[in-house]
Amino acid sequence: MKRARIVIRDLAKTFREDGREVAAVQGATFEVLDQEFVAIVGPSGCGKSTILNMIGGLVAPSAGVVEIDGARVAGTVPLQVGYVFQKDTVFPWRSVARNIALGLEYRGVSPADVQRRVREAVALAGLGGFEEAFPATLSGGMRQRVALMRTLVVEPQILLMDEPFGALDTHTKIGLHAELLALWEARHQTVIFVTHDLSEAITLADRIVVMTRRPGRVKLVHEVKLPRPRDVIALRASEAYAHEYGAIWHVLGEEFAGPAR
Amino acid sequence: MTERVRVLLWRLAILVALVSAWEWLTGIKAISRTPGLYWIDPFFISRPSLVLKRFVYLASDQVRLSIWQMALSTVQSTLWGFVVGVSTGFVAGLVLGRRDRLARIFEPYIVAFNSLPRIALVPLVTMIFGFGLLAKIVLAWTIVFFIVFFNTFQGARSVDADLIHAARFLGGSDRQIMRTVVVPSALAWTFAALTPSISFALIGVVVGEFLGGESGGGLGYLIIQSLGTLNAADMMVALISLGVIGIVMALGIKQVESRLLRWRPEYRRRA
Repeated sequence: MKRARIVIRDLAKTFREDGREVAAVQGATFEVLDQEFVAIVGPSGCGKSTILNMIGGLVAPSAGVVEIDGARVAGTVPLQVGYVFQKDTVFPWRSVARNIALGLEYRGVSPADVQRRVREAVALAGLGGFEEAFPATLSGGMRQRVALMRTLVVEPQILLMDEPFGALDTHTKIGLHAELLALWEARHQTVIFVTHDLSEAITLADRIVVMTRRPGRVKLVHEVKLPRPRDVIALRASEAYAHEYGAIWHVLGEEFAGPAR
Repeated sequence: MTERVRVLLWRLAILVALVSAWEWLTGIKAISRTPGLYWIDPFFISRPSLVLKRFVYLASDQVRLSIWQMALSTVQSTLWGFVVGVSTGFVAGLVLGRRDRLARIFEPYIVAFNSLPRIALVPLVTMIFGFGLLAKIVLAWTIVFFIVFFNTFQGARSVDADLIHAARFLGGSDRQIMRTVVVPSALAWTFAALTPSISFALIGVVVGEFLGGESGGGLGYLIIQSLGTLNAADMMVALISLGVIGIVMALGIKQVESRLLRWRPEYRRRA
């Protein structure tokens, strides 16, 4: 039995909007095991990004607890955590190579080592030839690849991903799924991946946390029983995939289609 | 003919037309006798040929203070005022831009000082710093500082919060994030203030030179002296020199800007 790396207990968050208290998340409880890939799915506005931000220490919970490796997260960014944002957060004034190098520079890695690790990361992400390019000249998919490699190159043990491929077209997205899975197979980071795209969640995750509409609560935790390593393209045509999809959609669909509360 | 050449030719044509009209119209006595057009007269606006003659004279070693020495003095004071104003304005903008409480504390003082007409400070600055280089630098500084400060302040405030979060997750300390995220992000705003800053630094310096007398030298001194002797040609020499200095400095800033901001799409070299 693997140990739990991330424990979320009775987590709640209320925001003030126009002087009114709005509950974004209410009593969310789940655990993420070591080296596990967990996806959080739910309709927009269900607070799934807020949960991720609370795990990452960007947002302080109104109630409840987030623990990473037994230590309570309280308003500080935990060092072993990497975060990939939905928004394009590549630094526009740094070339591709210098973007990827930044985290290593922050950590005081020697220039020679920085160079070597950046070179490896560039090759791994298929960004060869673009090392000196500035982000403004890259496509959205390439920029998100830079953001991913920039995060992975410092070798975080825990990876929080907030709809990282949300703004990309389907083809680019599926390509990046394959790359992400290959990278994950190599290192087996503990991953929490937020998305509203159920097929993305099934393709990538070991377990899927299904959220209700706002205020977000955990509706269901579903184990994805698809073998690894997964072929992201063949997978989508398989019967097992359709079975998983049906099982979750049955529950998630209620949240999309049900009457407004 | 490329676009570049076409633009250059047009610029040249306009220059030639203006200079010729100036030379030609000031040569016709009848015009200056027309009511309202009295000023189209070499006495008031000189003539290009006269200006050139005076320029050659002022550039020669027959004068005590040559035009080169005066221009050099003006350029020197302007650059000092510019450098000191930009660096202090930049640092102050960064610090207050990232420290909300400090910004709130200092806001009324900054606004009050900035709304003072700078020219009103000239006598005070002169009393304190005299007529030399230092007074002119201080005058240029009082203007440049605020322009750069306000722009950098805005720039430092509008740094994308997600970029800062991203840097924090990459392990950046406050100091590292300042250097690698806030400064480069604010620089684009600061640069927008630099070209006007050069003109304003020149204003401060020339006003200082108006008062400075011969010891201060400079083109402002030449202008005031020409007013005293009603010498329009010398005044034109000084004005044209100031224009040339302004253009050269602005071009210099553009060069630095397009190097430092080459990551921005609008500065990418056209293929």
